This record gives sequence, C-alpha cells and structure tokens, in this order.
Amino acid sequence: MTAFLAYTVIGIATGCIYALTASGLVVTYTTSGIFNFAHGAIGMLMAFTYWQLTVQNGWPQWLALIAVLLVIAPALGALIQRTLMRRLYGASISTTLVITLGLLLAFIGVATVFWDPGEPRSLPEFFAGNRVKVFSIFVSYHQITMITVAVLVAVLLRLFLFRTRIGTAMRAVVDDPELASLNGAAPDRVAMVSWALGAALAGLAGILLAPLVSLDIILLTLLVINGYAAAMVGRLKSLPLTFAGGLALGLAEAHAIGNLPPNILNIAKPALPIFFLYAVLLALPQARLRVGRVVNTHRAPRVASLRESLVAGAGFVAVAAILASVLSPGDLFTAGQGIVFALIMLSLVLLTGYAGQVSLAQMTFVGVGAFAMGKFFGGGSFLGIIAATVLAGIAGAIAALPAIRLQGLYLALSTLAFAQGMSQVFFKNTNVFGFGGRLEVKRPDILGVSFRGDRAFFVLLCVTFALCGIGVLALRRGPFGRRLIAMRESPAACATLGLNLTMTKLAVFSLSSAMAGLAGAFYGGLRGQVGLNDFEMLQSLVLLLLVSVAGINTVTGALMGGLTFGLFPKIQRSLPGIPSLSFLGAGLGAVALGRNPNGWTSDVGPRIARLRKMLRPGDSGTQDGREPEPNVAPAPEAVSSAQR
Amino acid sequence: MLSAETVDVKFGVTYALSEATVEAHEAQVTGLIGPNGAGKTTLFNVITGLQAPTRGRVTIDGEDVTNLKPHIRARKRVARTFQRLEVFGSLTARENILVACEIRNQWDSTSEDPRTVADEILDRVGLREVGNQPVDAMPTGLARLVELGRALAIRPKLLLLDEPGSGLDSSETLGLGQLLTELAEDGMAILLVEHDVELVMRISKEIYVLDFGRVIAHGTPGEVKDNADVQAAYLGAEVPA
Ligand SMILES: Nc1ncnc2c1ncn2[C@@H]1O[C@H](COP(=O)(O)OP(=O)(O)OP(=O)(O)O)[C@@H](O)[C@H]1O
Ligand SMILES: [Mg+2]
Repeated sequence: MTAFLAYTVIGIATGCIYALTASGLVVTYTTSGIFNFAHGAIGMLMAFTYWQLTVQNGWPQWLALIAVLLVIAPALGALIQRTLMRRLYGASISTTLVITLGLLLAFIGVATVFWDPGEPRSLPEFFAGNRVKVFSIFVSYHQITMITVAVLVAVLLRLFLFRTRIGTAMRAVVDDPELASLNGAAPDRVAMVSWALGAALAGLAGILLAPLVSLDIILLTLLVINGYAAAMVGRLKSLPLTFAGGLALGLAEAHAIGNLPPNILNIAKPALPIFFLYAVLLALPQARLRVGRVVNTHRAPRVASLRESLVAGAGFVAVAAILASVLSPGDLFTAGQGIVFALIMLSLVLLTGYAGQVSLAQMTFVGVGAFAMGKFFGGGSFLGIIAATVLAGIAGAIAALPAIRLQGLYLALSTLAFAQGMSQVFFKNTNVFGFGGRLEVKRPDILGVSFRGDRAFFVLLCVTFALCGIGVLALRRGPFGRRLIAMRESPAACATLGLNLTMTKLAVFSLSSAMAGLAGAFYGGLRGQVGLNDFEMLQSLVLLLLVSVAGINTVTGALMGGLTFGLFPKIQRSLPGIPSLSFLGAGLGAVALGRNPNGWTSDVGPRIARLRKMLRPGDSGTQDGREPEPNVAPAPEAVSSAQR
Repeated sequence: MLSAETVDVKFGVTYALSEATVEAHEAQVTGLIGPNGAGKTTLFNVITGLQAPTRGRVTIDGEDVTNLKPHIRARKRVARTFQRLEVFGSLTARENILVACEIRNQWDSTSEDPRTVADEILDRVGLREVGNQPVDAMPTGLARLVELGRALAIRPKLLLLDEPGSGLDSSETLGLGQLLTELAEDGMAILLVEHDVELVMRISKEIYVLDFGRVIAHGTPGEVKDNADVQAAYLGAEVPA
C-alpha cells in the first residue's frame, strides 16, 4: 500500500509535467495549425537559462523565474511566431515540420555553443531537502511544487481562456480548429499570444523537470516527446483531455516502474511513453479528409527523361571510377560516406519529395539494414543486402501502420515513436549489436567478385546510387510516381477517384524504408562496424533537414545533401568551438527554407546557365540554350567546389 | 441512381444540412441551387464520403453506401469536381487526367489504354491545346475543366459538379452546357451546383433549391421559378426572373 501510494505520487507529479508541456503544444497547435516540434528545445533552452541565472550568476530564484517565464520565454515564442510561423499558415505538413524541426536542431546547436555538453550540471530541486509525510509516505516539496504549479496553470489557463477577451478569441479557435481553418488562421495577435504562452509553458515544464533528470541538452529536449502522447489524447484540441492524458501517462509510467520485474523494466521503462504514444495513435479515430488546405509551395522541377538519367548515371559512375583510383583512403571514405547519406536521402526524395509523407525514422531503417547485413548469411553476402532491403521495408510498414489512416502529422509522429522505441528496445539490446553494442558488418562478394577493397567498394556504392537514382526517376515518370504526386497535392481528389490512400502510403513507406535499408547495408560495409549510437532519431532529423535544404524533390538534391553531410565531420574538426555543427547547420538551413522551399540546388541549374552565358557572350548559338537540369550532378568534385 | 435521404449535418450548433432529401436520376441533369452557405458543397461531401452525416443515409443504385469510405464509393462510379479547386497543380492538364485513368485501371477491369482515354477526354473537354501546361499556371476556368476531365476519367455513372461554370466566359459556358447535355444523353446522372442559374434552368430537367440546409423547393425549372419560397430566398439576388 505504501509503495502503491508512493508511486502514485511520483506518477501524478511527472504526469503534471507532461500535462504542462502538452498543453503548451496544444495551445500553439490549435491557434496556428502548426505542431511545434521545437517545443521541447524551447523548454531545454529555458531550463539552461534558468540554471545560468540562478546557479551561475546567483540570482534569487523568484527573480530568475520572472525573467525566464514572464520575459525571455514569451519573447522567444512571440519572436518565432512573428518571424517564421506567420508565413506558414496553410503550408503543407512537410514544410511546417521541417521548419520546426530545424528550430529544434538549431536550438540544440546554440545550447551546445553556450553550455559545453561535456560539463556536468545540475539544477537543484525547489525547496531541496524538504519533504512532508502524508499518510505513510514522504512527499518532497519539489513534487508538491510540481503538482501545485500544474493545478495553478490549469486554473489560470481556464480563467484566461474564459474570462479575457483574447482568451475567448483563442478559444473560438481551440474549440473548432476546423472552422478556424476555414475562415483563415487566427488573427495575428491571437497567434502571437498563443506562441508566447506556449513557450512559457514549455519553459515552466523544463525548469520543473530538469532537477529530476540531469541538466542534459538532448535528454531534456527529447523528454518532451513524452508530452506528445498526452497532447494526442486531447486530439490536439481539448485541454482538459490533454491534462488527463498527461496524468494517465505519468501514473502508468510510475506504476510500471513499481511493478515490472527489473530485467523487463530496464528495457521497457524509457520506451513506455513511446508505447503510450503508439497506442494513442492507434486509438485515434480516422480524421476527415480535408479539402482545400495545402498550399503548394514547391515549384515542380522538370523530371529528367530516361535517356538523360542514363547518361548522367553513366557519367557519375565514370567519374566515381576515376576518383576511386586517385583519392587517398581517407578522402575515399569521406566521399563514400557522402554517397551513403545521399542514398538515404534519395529514399526521402521518394517519400517526402514526391509523396509528401514524412518519416523521422529513416536512420532507424538504415540501422535495421546494417543489422541484417551484419547478422544474416555470413555477414558479407549479396543475400545480406537483399535481407537488409526486405527487412527495412517491413520495418517501414510497421512504423507507419498505426497512423497510416491519419494525416501527415500523425504519421510523422508515429515514425518518431518508432525511432525512439527502436533505439530503446532494439538497438540497445545486447542481442542485437552484441556485447559492447558494436556489430561487425562485412563488405559483400557479388557473383564471385570481391568488393572488400576500398576502391572496389566505393565504385559498387556509386553504381548502386546511380541505379537507385535512375530507378527513382523512372518511378517518378511512371504511373506510380504520378499517383504519388497526385496524392501529395490532393489526397481528397485521389480518394474520390477511387485511390486507396492507405495502401498507396503503405507502399511508398515500405519502398522508401527498403531503400534506406539498402543504404544501411552499405553504411555498415563502409565503416566495417556499426553501433547503437549510429541510428539515433536526431540523425534522421539532420538527414531530413539537409536534404530539404539541398532540394528534396530531385536526385541532385539528395546527392548534394549527402555529400555535404559526408563532409561535416571534416569541417567539424576545424571548428571545435561549435560542438554540434551538423545540428546547427542543418537547423539554421531548414529555418531559412521558409524562403526557398525547393532548396538551393533548384537554383544551381539556372545559375550555371547564366554563368555560361556571361563567360561566352557570343557563343550562345552553339550551346543549345537549354538550361542544364539539376537532376543528376556531374561529379562529387564539382560539388565540393560548388560548396566552397 | 442516387438518393440522399433526410440528411442532417451539424457543425457545432448549426445545421449545414437538415433533413435534406435529394435524388438524381440517369440520363438527366439535376440542378441544385441555393444562396451562399445553403449547404450544397456539404451535400456533395456527404455523398462522396468526405463528410459523415449526423443523420440520414445515402444510397447509390439502391445500395446503402453511408458507411463506405470515399474511395470505395468512387469505385461505384461516382465522380465529382470541387468548388475550391483540388487539382494536381504541378502536373499538366493531360497528366491530371492520365493519373485519374491510371487510378481507375487499378480498380476497374478494363483493357483501355489510359493514354488513349486521357487524350480522348482532353479533346472532349476542349483542353487539347493546353494539355501540356501545368495546371497551377492555368486560369481557374480552365482548371475547372481539368477537374471535369479528371472526373470523367473514371467513366462515372453519377457526376457531381460543384460550380463548374465559374471562371468561364459566356462562350465557354455555352460549351460546358452543351457538353453536360451530351453526357446526360449518353446516360449519365449529373448533379449540378451552379450559381449561373440561367445555365441550370436551361439544361436541368429537375431542380432542387436549398436554403439554410433545407430543401425549400423541388420540381421542373418552370415550377421552381414560380415558387414563392424560392423567390423569397433569392430576394434581391440575381435569380429567377
Ligand atoms: N467543416 C466545416 N465546419 C464548420 N462549418 C462548416 C464546415 N463546412 C461548411 N460549414 C458551414 O456549413 C454551411 C454550408 O456550407 P456549404 O459550403 O455547404 O455551402 P454552399 O451551399 O456550398 O455555399 P457556397 O454557395 O458559398 O459554396 C455554411 O454555413 C458553412 O459555413
Ligand atoms: Mg459550395
């Protein structure tokens, strides 16, 4: 009984935090239609700022609280709304998602610049050391604070929404987002207030949560994912249900900790909120197909013909063969890494660029592929590559399944849950990557030819990329590709023509994750071994953002994005002052996407043409005048020079 | 062919449709008119399954389809266009129609070559000239014709048109009327929502008038024109002269 009570108190206290952060999400979502993936990162930033002010600068707690929660956080929220979100109303989910994810990564990047992640920090509990005895158990003052604050926030939110004019305006939107989206998004001031409020709630949750876990940038940012499940319970609109969801999750978690045997608990505990999210998604009723919502921001690039793509592919492989014989082993590895990333990004071109669906688990599928390659058929056989592809394809279907009936955002959340769940339950399992978490992956022999050598393997990799690129373009020109574009641009119209949206999405999800799995076989082969930290969800985000920045609807975009990412470790070494360069770079790049949603490679073709004209003014007659299409880039060297 | 029986749709506290009963029959154009916000588009959404009714049922060829998904209903050869355009903007006009043909080939046992069918339809709706333009770059009137062509691609028995004439000039409107009449003569059931009442009066055999979600009149064009309720609903508006 005592234990039961104790876990109940812990559960309620944590549940209150989930409820706080989730209600912040709901408030911003309902008034602007944008699901703020950076919510957790804002909470993290605020917790660190609070730590800086109190622990480092010695401010009294009350003053720091006022500064952070009433000034800095609301200002940050309002700023985000003014500068970014305002322009995104009605934009497609893949656009808003990439931009808020960009903020998330950028905030992590900024935080690592200010607060060295290597240094341990901790935030003391409120009223540390004090506790009271209630019945037979001790309750810490911090827990009491958490519960009191949540109750207070709930009451204040209610008063605010029902008693103030701006609150009433917000509520009109909260009650019926459908109607609000019909009449255009909420007026600007309402949206700004809601973003300010959302950021303050995120900050509050962060500050209350930080003392219970360590003050860790990534950990704090990701803990908010637990709040997602609560927000889903309220179906992103009902605040009371959201609070209930938060409490239910907190209680379920605490009692699971209290009752599960330790060996299961070790695996299951971190994944519990993820399972909860998965379950809630499964239980959500099918949403109506919205009519007339998505604003088409993408300019459609011309699709290369079969002949063009064959020629470009052959050229690419020829250049790769030359490079393979001249590059030093180190550079060859860097280039190979770039091509592997390009292959992963190509899978996103298919999924996100063409079909408009978003996966936040692409690295997970890569991991599944690497695992299959390393484990099956002797660890270095051609059959292993096939197993990698098939297994990852199945994993993709499983990741998408709970939310496949729902709209893009839920599907993305489902893949996020899948990625987090797989990290905790699968990759961290010692049976998967072996003891020490490292699995050896060999390079294959194909038809008696060995590709163990660095050069041969690099050429094989480039041939694979070229074939996949040609394949993706062929797909795009064919009926399936057309269906994907049609589905992206109007799911409602597709349904009224008799298209089964669920099956189509499932097909493209499987195909895309299968391609990521194929890339995984090469990822493992290139490095010789893989480890559990290689397939973190955050890496998937970086990949998604970089390919969005480089151009998510072209093969060139994937190639450029991949090579850029491949170069990051090298650049990083020369910039030790910015510890998470890839996060900062990808994040800021994605945020800047608001300006050119097609990515920077969409400008490359026209620019080259212009440059050519400038260089040879009298000669334009012999040049056929057509702009070179940026679908397959000529060679990696051209790329790196373009980046300089 | 189609009957929507005592359909209610409630948004919050207001009824967008209330006890609306509408039928459409083979080989004729049935007009559906009413002032803005009368519930016409909502009725189309209910028929095609994009909106679940609060009450009432929809039958197609006598079969109750009220609980079927949109794509299953479409496979019973029900096609529609949208008032707020739902074209595949980055595809060309021809590709819009082609992809619809290809989707149909997935669920319909047919040996027709989608490309041939697409070209036929392109000719039929008069878009041959602009077939290779991306639809995003087209004026609204033409984009509406693309939607019409796309709907025809699944060889519908029942065609729901939501203001196909807006954005067309008078000669194009004439062409549209001609086309709809021909389609009806070939046996299609057409339910036409249109603000151009003159066009509706001319080509419809039967007309329903909706106001505040209710059917306030139903009959031949002549009967509807003389109906006092209709004149009251349209008082001051452009209509039944
Ligand atoms: N998703 C929705 N949520 C809430 N109210 C809605 C929704 N869709 C439509 N309505 C309301 O239902 C009523 C009927 O709308 P509907 O679009 O069906 O009218 P309509 O006859 O097509 O009008 P119009 O001639 O302007 O196209 C309107 O008052 C509208 O505001
Ligand atoms: Mg309408």
